[in-house]
Amino acid sequence: MKPPVFDYRAPVSVEETQQALAEYQADGKLLAGGQSLVPMLNMRLARPAVLIDINRVTELAFVRADDGGLTIGALTRQQALLEHPTVQERWPLLAEATRHIGHRTIRNRGTVGGSLAHADPAAELPAVMLALDAVVTVSSTRGERQIPARDFVVDYLTTALEPTELLRSVWVPALPPRTGWAFQEVSRRHGDFALVAVAALVTLDAAGVCTDARLVLTGVGPTPVPVDLRQTLIGAAPSPAAVAAAAEAAQAAVDPPSDVHAPAEYRRHLARVLARRALTTAIERAGGTE
Amino acid sequence: MAEPATTRPKWIGQSMKRVEDPRFLRGKGRYIDDIRLPNMAVAAILRSPHAHARIVRIDTSAAERLPGVYAVVTGQDVRARMAPLPTFAVGPIYQDLLAVEKVRHVGEAVAAVVAENRYIAEDACELIEVEYEPLPPVVDPFAAMEPGAPLVHEALGSNVAYQRTFTFGDFDRDFNEADHIVRAKLRWPRSSGMPMETNGAIGDYDEGTGILTIYANSMNFTYFQWLIATSLKIPASKLRVVPINAGGSFGSKFFMHKVPTLAGFLSMVAGRPVKFVEDRIDHILNNDHCGSDRYYDVALAVDRDGTMRALQIKVVDDYGAYLQFGTGTHGNALAQVVGPYRIPSVQYELTAVLTNKNQQGAYRGFGSEVNNWVLERMVDFAARELGLDPVAIRRKNFIRPEQFPYRTPTGNIYDSGNYEGVLDKALALAEYDRWVAERERARQEGRYLGIGIVTAQERSVFSSTEFWFWFDQPGFPVTSSPESATVTIDPTGKFIVTLHSLAFWGNSPETVATQVVAEQFDIDPADVVVTYAASQRALPGTGPGGSRFTVMVTGALVGASGRLKEKIKKIAAHRLEVSPEDLEFHQGSVRVKGSPERALTLSEIALSAYMFKLDLPEDVESGLEASYTFDHPYTTLPSPDRKDLGVFYPFMGHACHIAVVEVDPETGQFTWHKYAAVADAGTVVNPMTLDGHLTGGTAQGLGTALYEEYVYDDRGQMLTASFMDYLVPTAMEVPRIDIDHQETPSPYTPYGIKGAGEGGRMMAPGVITAALEDALAPLGVRITELPITPAKLVRWIAEAKARGQAPTA
Repeated sequence: MKPPVFDYRAPVSVEETQQALAEYQADGKLLAGGQSLVPMLNMRLARPAVLIDINRVTELAFVRADDGGLTIGALTRQQALLEHPTVQERWPLLAEATRHIGHRTIRNRGTVGGSLAHADPAAELPAVMLALDAVVTVSSTRGERQIPARDFVVDYLTTALEPTELLRSVWVPALPPRTGWAFQEVSRRHGDFALVAVAALVTLDAAGVCTDARLVLTGVGPTPVPVDLRQTLIGAAPSPAAVAAAAEAAQAAVDPPSDVHAPAEYRRHLARVLARRALTTAIERAGGTE
Repeated sequence: MAEPATTRPKWIGQSMKRVEDPRFLRGKGRYIDDIRLPNMAVAAILRSPHAHARIVRIDTSAAERLPGVYAVVTGQDVRARMAPLPTFAVGPIYQDLLAVEKVRHVGEAVAAVVAENRYIAEDACELIEVEYEPLPPVVDPFAAMEPGAPLVHEALGSNVAYQRTFTFGDFDRDFNEADHIVRAKLRWPRSSGMPMETNGAIGDYDEGTGILTIYANSMNFTYFQWLIATSLKIPASKLRVVPINAGGSFGSKFFMHKVPTLAGFLSMVAGRPVKFVEDRIDHILNNDHCGSDRYYDVALAVDRDGTMRALQIKVVDDYGAYLQFGTGTHGNALAQVVGPYRIPSVQYELTAVLTNKNQQGAYRGFGSEVNNWVLERMVDFAARELGLDPVAIRRKNFIRPEQFPYRTPTGNIYDSGNYEGVLDKALALAEYDRWVAERERARQEGRYLGIGIVTAQERSVFSSTEFWFWFDQPGFPVTSSPESATVTIDPTGKFIVTLHSLAFWGNSPETVATQVVAEQFDIDPADVVVTYAASQRALPGTGPGGSRFTVMVTGALVGASGRLKEKIKKIAAHRLEVSPEDLEFHQGSVRVKGSPERALTLSEIALSAYMFKLDLPEDVESGLEASYTFDHPYTTLPSPDRKDLGVFYPFMGHACHIAVVEVDPETGQFTWHKYAAVADAGTVVNPMTLDGHLTGGTAQGLGTALYEEYVYDDRGQMLTASFMDYLVPTAMEVPRIDIDHQETPSPYTPYGIKGAGEGGRMMAPGVITAALEDALAPLGVRITELPITPAKLVRWIAEAKARGQAPTA
């Protein structure tokens, strides 16, 4: 379990990083927290010619909030994100989901940008960013662009990032008032990848009518799966029947894999159970009576 | 044997802090990978990607050309220079250090590279070209028994390595007379010990003397040092094995011969010291110590009132590709096959099957933990089918305290016990009655709360007949399996204890030895140093396995101490001009009974023993050292017809575990409400370290029950070859365990000690299964297989509901 030979670069700025990416193209691989990449290197499943270590690019480690939303630098450690008071207060869904990433020692190293760019099919952050309607900022020597979270993860371990692009930050919009949230996950052990996880957001108006609802599942396919709730929840005061229908829709939306940890059938079952539980909790937190 | 010195122990029974801790907790322990010899190279192994394939051709030339590579060896080199590896198997089931003509499981070693470092060695492994001719794999043990199935070992002519039915007692009468037969098919899957440190060794061949030194983290090298020498075709006198601290074993370093043999062989080939330490994938794929992999068909004959009459067990065991221990793991089961119950007769049919998987070895419990799970399952099924309380049916069938020593149907003796005492303590510790009431309330609220209870045996101190009584004419009649100790008092009066069979393996061998010697001589434990003999100086020993270490090493220490005390008394009697019988040991001195002012300190005696021989009686040699080899205190031979297997595992511990859980039937997850364990291991040497054993063993049992499984697909590919897929429970998964002890001393061992190293893993799978099943009893779920995953629980609930709704025929 030792990696094959690679070269090593350690840029100290975004500009140097972009130059290195431009130089090595697909032969270069960014190393951030290393919690996925280093095991893959050791098992020789990843064989980059050059590791570009961005741990010295400290300008990418920040969390900033204003009235409009939250900006998270790519090198922000996951533990720093979930301990951030503003995140806990205004984006509790993000804090709660992040708590489910591995163990504390893993989160102390693992980064927000690394998790998004790696796009593991059972990862929490890509799903939550999708539920939160986040926007990812990427850049290269040719300039900067924004990618909505819904377009960011395109396939199994594959994102919209070009080989020369650096994920710089992710922006999460402020949540409307009377928005409830919930995150539900089932894994084999504490800290394992999710067998199924569900992120839910429900917004109610003053009359208790659901004006917006988001439900995203992870662990159920190559990419996070958003569930369209326009036919079930949105547009009326939530009822148990509506929640059950939304949960059915969630189950119908997924086509999960089987592996040594769980058969597809169980994951499909969990999709419905966790969707129902997450939506019920989110509605309660939004102040609605389900 | 020598009698213990004092009647009321001073140090035995104390939760003395572990003397091993200061160095290990400060990172000063020194493990195999910390050792770097001058000019040392490192090895890596190329492993088979196929479950079953003929090796057509191996081209090592590109690997040999890689800079930094010193040697590349294959099965052909092994065949040319070595003999096959040791085995207890009867019949042509041979294993070579590196596969020669064909590979028999995924991960079997095919070639080894010796290089400057592990990185280069692994690069070189990738450059070795192996041409395989894939053969149809034999994965399912039942398919393996079909006529025409591909053969794992062609020379054997069959994949069935062993099949025989043993009958103990008047089985037919008891079975046919009983009112009711409880039947079940049960499945126990393969798992394995996962110590933090894997197996490792350094070979260092001295071409000048012809002596090969092997540093290894093995647990019982004295026992098989000569077998390694035989494989390497060198005289045993020229093989020196040096014990190195091991970071855990749980059985996986028990018969650890392959890794030291490999390091030794590579050192002889490469002409320099060679280190090989398994990485985790090496360990999972090929540690040769997977646990049992069994399919049971069981019938328990009972009367309506719950009286157990007879037990019939038919078991198929999937041993994998080799059979290093023969079927010894079933001998272990037969040591306590009837559990704590008065079951007068037993029929046991064993079929040992070979398949294309890594072979079985030792894993905490050695096959008896499986029998505990099976028997406790059957007792619970009987209680349910007869409408009896699970506690009452156990209590009714317990062997009574006045029946000990109790001869079980197989012939093995249970030395002592008080099972109701343990049960009552456990019920109180777990607050059983309160939880029964709580269960009723929960059920009324539609919650699924369940209580599990197991009352089961923990045999200790094997005598090795279990490896050969399977055959009428055994080829390998090992018996006794002794343990040795040397006690030395240096010229200043301080103590050095030498252990002869083992490396430190994560337990408390030095603490045990220190407490026993402090007890024997009435000295300060701080005055004792414990060391481990290398093989060339080692007296007979077996090593820690089968929960034998504390009993056996205490016997050896008591024996050596007795010899040494006799000499000390002789010297002191001479100098104090009294009779030796009038002397006693007291706080570091020897004094005259009734005249405590007439005394000599041990340092005064030691100085005269080392320096002033001419002042001593003529027959006293200089120095203060004594050794003792302690043979198994109670073992007998099996009868020729094998209707009586003899006494081979008589020091019988017992435990009761109780668990309370609550299941979320929608997700199949559950939460712990309670876990209580009461163990009876005879006299307890150190309650704190025993609690540690019990806690760790319970955690491993929990792993077996809920998480761990070696999964092979239908092509024999290993699907759980890393810790991402092979799930070992962490601190987050293990509940708080409330522990209490009862002490029913053994009449046959020093101080009445029984072994207890495997207890937790022998009880936890049963109690967890029972608790989960009880929680889902309102739904009619019956649990007959492990591991119990959330996905399976959800499926079983759905199936039980479907059965409940189905129209009855």
